[in-house]
Amino acid sequence: MPSLRPDLVRTLLPERERERVEAYVLEDAGQGTDVFGTSPTGIGNAYALAYWLHRYYFRVVSAGHEHIPHATAAVVVGNHSGVLPFDGVMVSADVFRHMDPPRLVRFMVDFFVYRMPFIGTLFRSLGQVPGTRRNFDGLIEEGHLVGIFPEGADALGKPADDRYELFPFSHGHVELAARHGVPVVPYGVVGAEEQQTVITNLQPLARALNLPFVPITRTFPWFGPAGLLPKPVRYFIHYGEPLLIDPAVLESIEARGREVERVRDAVREQIHRGLEARRNFVADAGDKEDSP
Amino acid sequence: MTETTETTEAPALVRPGPRRLLIVGARRKIAVELIARLLDDKRVEKILAVDEGPCPPGLLGHDSGRFMFRNASLDRRRQVDNLFLFEEFREHPLDTVVHLAFAGNPKGYDVSRHEYNVNAARHLLDASLRYQIGKYVFLSSDAVYAVGPRGDYKVSEDSELNLDPASPKAVRDIIDAEFLCRAKMDHRECEVMVLRPAGVIGGGVMSGLNLLFESNPPVLPIGFDPMINPTSKERLARDIQLALMFRGKGLYNIAGPTAGPLSRFLEQRGIEPLRVPGPLLRQANRLQRLVGQTRYHAEYQPKRLFYSLVLDDTRFEAAFRAHAELLELRGPSS
Repeated sequence: MPSLRPDLVRTLLPERERERVEAYVLEDAGQGTDVFGTSPTGIGNAYALAYWLHRYYFRVVSAGHEHIPHATAAVVVGNHSGVLPFDGVMVSADVFRHMDPPRLVRFMVDFFVYRMPFIGTLFRSLGQVPGTRRNFDGLIEEGHLVGIFPEGADALGKPADDRYELFPFSHGHVELAARHGVPVVPYGVVGAEEQQTVITNLQPLARALNLPFVPITRTFPWFGPAGLLPKPVRYFIHYGEPLLIDPAVLESIEARGREVERVRDAVREQIHRGLEARRNFVADAGDKEDSP
Repeated sequence: MTETTETTEAPALVRPGPRRLLIVGARRKIAVELIARLLDDKRVEKILAVDEGPCPPGLLGHDSGRFMFRNASLDRRRQVDNLFLFEEFREHPLDTVVHLAFAGNPKGYDVSRHEYNVNAARHLLDASLRYQIGKYVFLSSDAVYAVGPRGDYKVSEDSELNLDPASPKAVRDIIDAEFLCRAKMDHRECEVMVLRPAGVIGGGVMSGLNLLFESNPPVLPIGFDPMINPTSKERLARDIQLALMFRGKGLYNIAGPTAGPLSRFLEQRGIEPLRVPGPLLRQANRLQRLVGQTRYHAEYQPKRLFYSLVLDDTRFEAAFRAHAELLELRGPSS
């Protein structure tokens, strides 16, 4: 029986991008992965697929990469939506593609993912780790970019009526950023909210299945699992200036609330920039079509 | 200035004088390895090895002037006390106790096993404090840690313990025995140490991980590949030796030199696992035990084959392994 050849996926990458994958430095813990379980093969194959999605499927337009630190640790914080977390995949791929040397955003992932066969192992091999305090500390201490969705996994099931409305942010990211003295880089993703139209969320069923949400969309469950796949909407990703968190958040709950709101406002600002960029993009495309 | 500090502080790390050790649980493979290592060290004057049953073949050839084997029931206080009263140690009493006698096999685990495990730890520790032992080392297990999807990438000594009421009795007893030791860790005269080793692979040891590797074939859940950092019998023996010879007390993780997915460690040894759906793992393991193809008990640590457990032994590295060279340089032979 012929064996699977996941390495062939890399042929999706142009030569220059393959070189970038090879240039990514991973600290080997002795068995070909880093201590978090991230493997160069996993990253290479995942980037090959993500690159294809980034360039040809979601056709990502992004700006503000100069705000992302080139070598030091930072917390990357943004909005979350779209039923399946393609927004996280696109942010990771975008940062990897536009930073020199390439950097990987390692997202803090909800625990339920690691209970699922294959998915948890896959996420880990791609550098995405369970969202615990110790994991955060370890990643920051080793100088990584740590991605956090402070709206939580519930935001993936955001109904269509709440598009581009931010859920309340959890407080952990500002406290941890202040404790380690690292900046928070806010970003906004526009497009993910339209990749699925969520009609409602079956909360009782979600609770029974121990999942954050069970969505009813225009295509799910009517078309089975295929109904969860995203529409090929164009993504607009904007990164804002790094925010230095007031160390007072470690001592005052008011200061913490204030800083969380500051980060939330910064993310909202990047979303507005993305929405504006999309309007301009559509208008420009319309002008080109109208012109003889 | 720095050199002066190093030369005055470094020797102070090593416990002064020759060692006279009591090692209980001497029938364990790790004990046989440890005793062989210790007897190679000229600083070790005499070893009293104790266990239930006959002396294992691996210990028969040692110099009888430096090594003795005795039988004792460690759950009997009187018999434990008697271990400290042998004529051979009247002039030069024992100064170190190593407690390896923990019966963790979940098969047939009953009240007598519970009494043996917990009472042995209690009696041995009490006697050690009464007879002014300088160091007491209890070899615990990584089974005490809670394992699950919320796992940390590295588990440090203060991580969550497996206090789930559904956890096996053997695990609860290890935690119980550990707590007895931890309650005495502030003792002035005796340095009480608890070592939590990662799973041991190879050497025919009875660790859960090794029993899994020796299975024919190892049965694993589909879609899971936990991270582990197993150690070896030789490395573990060396780590215990360092713990005995250097000053230091407290709770320490000790692990292998590398971390990686379980499947990589199997691949390296040319072992092809059989994958079954996660919910069927226990039944498959039970069936495999029934037909004599494994001695591994999936019930003992049911989540270990699903979720990662990588021990963080940075503290042990800094306090002991970092000075290993110093130990080898010192001593009557050098």
